[in-house]
Amino acid sequence: MNTVLSRANSLFAFSLSVMAALTFGCFVTTAFKDRRVPVDIHVSKVMLKNVDDFTGPRERSDLGFLTFDLSSDLQPIFDWNVKQLFLYLSAEYATRSNALNQVVLWDKIVLRGENTKLNLRDVKSKYFFFDDGNGLRANKNITLTLSWNVVPNAGILPLVAGSGHVSLPFPESYETTKSY
Amino acid sequence: MLSIFKSIPSHMDYKGQKLAEQIFQGIILISAVIGFVYGLIIEQFGWTVYIVLAGFVVSCVLTLPPWPMYRQNPLSWQPIIPETSAEPSQKPQEALKKKKHK
Repeated sequence: MNTVLSRANSLFAFSLSVMAALTFGCFVTTAFKDRRVPVDIHVSKVMLKNVDDFTGPRERSDLGFLTFDLSSDLQPIFDWNVKQLFLYLSAEYATRSNALNQVVLWDKIVLRGENTKLNLRDVKSKYFFFDDGNGLRANKNITLTLSWNVVPNAGILPLVAGSGHVSLPFPESYETTKSY
Repeated sequence: MLSIFKSIPSHMDYKGQKLAEQIFQGIILISAVIGFVYGLIIEQFGWTVYIVLAGFVVSCVLTLPPWPMYRQNPLSWQPIIPETSAEPSQKPQEALKKKKHK
């Protein structure tokens, strides 16, 4: 029986199939794109303290404080299959107990249509840079990298590391907490 | 309530059904191609979706109601044969059957 309802049904089903095909096409047009852009990171101040870590093993642990500058042009990452970027700055370093430590210091969400020129001066880290021991003091090679998750309309959720990272040594001595 | 809807004539003839199907498929495919290209150019997938939705609405209007263009090839049914013209030899058999049934 060909009724109004059966015609509406086939029309709706066909439209949905076409829409699914278009969404897949949107994914295919952007699937092989290189989403790396150069990032300029500059650390302006490093401070190291040795404080009680109440969350951890109840010992005094190393706590780092960083102030950094960040500049990058994120415009080339955005296209019609990008809804937002989740940027995060992570520190990577090796200690005696662990070959690879990764700590996220700062993050930011950039929505589509927002300002894509990243130009930040003297930003303090958002999250505590705690080591699970005393691995930060006199650590010669702590690498800061800006990475991002690309949140798409359709398809995979790529995790991209920005090209351009900075490595810095940490101070040999702790900053003593002044009592006022 | 339902009988009111059923009393509205909504059928199409067979050629009309085929034509309606071709029309809505054509409209949606064309709007999909236009929307994809436009969305790709202005880098907004939302506009692709809007253009396909517009094609959907247009084809709904064009093919859901039984417009006269879908009813131009009505089936030519055999004309109703009056009962008196039936062959007389079959009549007694039918009468027998009816009697048996009763």
